[in-house]
Amino acid sequence: MELNDEITINAPMARVYEALNDPEILQQCIPGCEELIKHSDSELEAKVVLKIGPVKARFGGNVELDTSGAPDAFSLTGQGSGGAAGYAKGGADVTLSEADGVTTLTYTAKVDIGGKLAQLGSRLIQSTAKKLAGKFFKSFGEVVDSVDA
Amino acid sequence: MNDMTPDREERSANLKGLGCSRKRVEDARFTQGKGNYVDDIKLPDMLHGDFVRSPYAHARVVSVNKDAALALPGVVAVLTAEDLAPLNLHWMPTLAGDKQMVLADGKVLFQGQEVAFVVASDRYVAADAVELVEVEYEELEVITDPFEALKSDVVLREDLEGQTEGAHGPRKHHNHIFTWEQGDEAGTNQVLDNAEVVAEETMYYHRTHPCPLETCGSVASMDKVNGKLTLWGTFQAPHVVRTVASLLSGIEEHNIRVVSPDIGGGFGNKVGVYPGYVCSIVASIVTGKPVKWVEDRMENLMSTAFARDYHMTGKISATKEGKITGLHCHVTADHGGFDACADPTKFPAGFMNICTGSYDIPVAYLAVDGVYTNKAPGGVSYRCSFRVTEAVYFIERMIEVLAIELDMDAAELRRINFIKKEQFPYTAALGWEYDSGDYHTAWDKALETVDYEGLRAEQAERVAAFKRGETRKLMGVGLSFFTEIVGAGPVKNCDILGMGMFDSCEIRIHPTGSAIARLGTISQGQGHATTFAQILASEIGISADSITIEEGDTDTAPYGLGTYGSRSTPVAGAATAMAGRKIRAKAQMIAAYLLEVHDDDVEFDIDRFVVKGAPERFKTMKEIAYAAYNQAIPGIEPGLEAVSYYDPPNMTYPFGAYVCVMDIDVDTGVPEIRRFYALDDCGTRINPMIIEGQVHGGLTEALAVALGQEIAYDDMGNVKTGTLMDFFLPTAWEVPNYETDYTVTPSPHHPIGAKGVGESPHVGGVPCFSNAVQDAFRAFGLRHTNMPHDHWRIWQTANGLGLHD
Repeated sequence: MELNDEITINAPMARVYEALNDPEILQQCIPGCEELIKHSDSELEAKVVLKIGPVKARFGGNVELDTSGAPDAFSLTGQGSGGAAGYAKGGADVTLSEADGVTTLTYTAKVDIGGKLAQLGSRLIQSTAKKLAGKFFKSFGEVVDSVDA
Repeated sequence: MNDMTPDREERSANLKGLGCSRKRVEDARFTQGKGNYVDDIKLPDMLHGDFVRSPYAHARVVSVNKDAALALPGVVAVLTAEDLAPLNLHWMPTLAGDKQMVLADGKVLFQGQEVAFVVASDRYVAADAVELVEVEYEELEVITDPFEALKSDVVLREDLEGQTEGAHGPRKHHNHIFTWEQGDEAGTNQVLDNAEVVAEETMYYHRTHPCPLETCGSVASMDKVNGKLTLWGTFQAPHVVRTVASLLSGIEEHNIRVVSPDIGGGFGNKVGVYPGYVCSIVASIVTGKPVKWVEDRMENLMSTAFARDYHMTGKISATKEGKITGLHCHVTADHGGFDACADPTKFPAGFMNICTGSYDIPVAYLAVDGVYTNKAPGGVSYRCSFRVTEAVYFIERMIEVLAIELDMDAAELRRINFIKKEQFPYTAALGWEYDSGDYHTAWDKALETVDYEGLRAEQAERVAAFKRGETRKLMGVGLSFFTEIVGAGPVKNCDILGMGMFDSCEIRIHPTGSAIARLGTISQGQGHATTFAQILASEIGISADSITIEEGDTDTAPYGLGTYGSRSTPVAGAATAMAGRKIRAKAQMIAAYLLEVHDDDVEFDIDRFVVKGAPERFKTMKEIAYAAYNQAIPGIEPGLEAVSYYDPPNMTYPFGAYVCVMDIDVDTGVPEIRRFYALDDCGTRINPMIIEGQVHGGLTEALAVALGQEIAYDDMGNVKTGTLMDFFLPTAWEVPNYETDYTVTPSPHHPIGAKGVGESPHVGGVPCFSNAVQDAFRAFGLRHTNMPHDHWRIWQTANGLGLHD
């Protein structure tokens, strides 16, 4: 499954980049995120409760960040397991650009899912992922805005 | 007094014997919710099992942590391969001579594979605990394509590494299972090389699933005091299950009672032995309490016994006039992670070698390569005799492709190649001896009934109208003519795990002239309690209404190999008739004594023995039964019972002619079935109403398979069609009106001439529906397209032919 989108965030690029690396902000904005631990600058561990169609499960996973292109680009890869519900793995490339204090974030993500999640939720995955991403960026935009203000 | 006696016609009608459309006696309980299925069985203190299944199609199992699950109140045990290993039950033999993991032993080979078995006080607690079992996996490369598997360095079955010899001969590669060859390869190639016309085609008969409404399940109850194990389960072959359970567990066979209660459809899905059965038994032995396991729909579709998955390549040669001269067939058979095909031992590809079909083909060659992949094991005969649907689909498509190559009418091509009536018994190029048939009569009757010439004229007009832009609907005329091969044995050819495929019937006549008959088969909805009583009624002159038929309890029923491959009527039905004849022979002696004449001076007449030439002197079967128990008859022991174990001399070969008329909207890909005509010849007809019901059911499952039903995998080995949302199960909405018809060509070797019918409509129906779709596009250059023909694929076919331009 591939996802891509372009989001406008009402904050300067440096602020957006900083927030994207702030585990507290991320935990606050990732839908269903119960725990987010930053082990190092490039390693994160997360626990997220996800509900896709009839499958609801707690996913535990690791994310690795590649920040060599910072601050206007970075990529991440990760994998998570939801036990009986299945598993997911994938990666995303994110680029940031700024104009007039407004940041445009573009991402392309490729995600593979397996297990019950893939069987039961396959027809719902794309729309659910879109919805979750939408929720994330909405909260993220608000948080970044409010901190700015 | 004789004035009160009903006339012969009335007496005969009262029997409700052969040929009577007697209503199904089972339906009273089924229609009133009084059936007794496995999940209806509730025992005191019964525990419930549920599986932890692998989300991965291929992975190493690094660790299993049970702690959190065991801590959940109500959880009694969590079993893994480690727990089963000391009992040597972590692996089990398959019906195909391979072995299969009961619980994952180090690795998993398909998505949904059983990893751990949770036992809890309640089904819901068990399901909750399944989620608490933490399994750590290490992903391995997934192979879902058998052609890839044969090239790959990845070893799927590490347990077999280095074994170059399999259950069916040499293995060519570490993911290869067997090569099965039949016929004359050199002779066939020579004919093909020198033929006037050769048509070649590659086709994929997709993986699908029998999907009975009731899923598989079992209840095991180990009585530790008496040392007796009772196992209720969805078994199409309960006696075989008892023997296998005894061999595996070491419990003596007399201490095991296997019961198949009412079964809600089998269609092959309930032939195999599944990890759930083994785990429920072990769990009951470990806990000392009854343990129930019933799989859910997703588990059923993704783990217990798929069907088909044959990649077939054919070459067929003919003269310019259309006389077929040779046939070559190669199959790459995807068997999944374990070879658990349900076939007689000597036939690793079932009866695929019936692929010469209904045609007189002088020389043929078949080779089948079985291959391991990361898909679920199985390979059952879904509403057909062993792999016969694959064989008939193959030949019926090859005939259509040859017709295109020859630019000939496909009906005519069939007619000039049919085995002729006078050629029976006919020995086919791949070895089978067809018992009887009259194909030309059936074909002509079918084509005349549907006005075949008229249909072709209408189709030609439709094509012209389409080309003029006046319609967007094309018309397809689907034809199929099939020969089934059913009723395995004979024992000399057919066994399962070494057990000869005979069947049995035991009859007990009660003193008042009613009876009970027990058989080695088990009905899954076929109506055995109705039809076997009819066979017996005609044989012994006791009304079918006064005969109870009982099956499925190994403590009471005689040993038999069960119900699948349309073998019940050909084998157990024959045993019933033979046992009935033993009853009649004894009854004759009793009647002669009572009538004070010589044995040879009485003859059987519907429901009585009469003195030859003096029909007013008679004894009814009722009177004879009473005397058998209550009168001292010199030289004859009391009672009236008989048993027959019947080993058929040959299989039976039912056949049929089907025509489907379809209109296809090229813009939506939606096919509308305008007409479906099915002529079946199943030999002697026992109950025409039940035959019609069986034909309707088989055709509906054929429609399902041809038009959309499949078990599809993605590249990661995920089952994409694991629920009834994605797996097509037809409803009244999709099912057309079926017209049924028949001819009667009795089997010459069956005691009553019957051949079996339950699976014929599926075998003939799949190619008929598929041929209708493909025929609609023949005028636009389509040669072959693979099933399932769902709307999307039909649309793609139309698109590929430029019909949307």
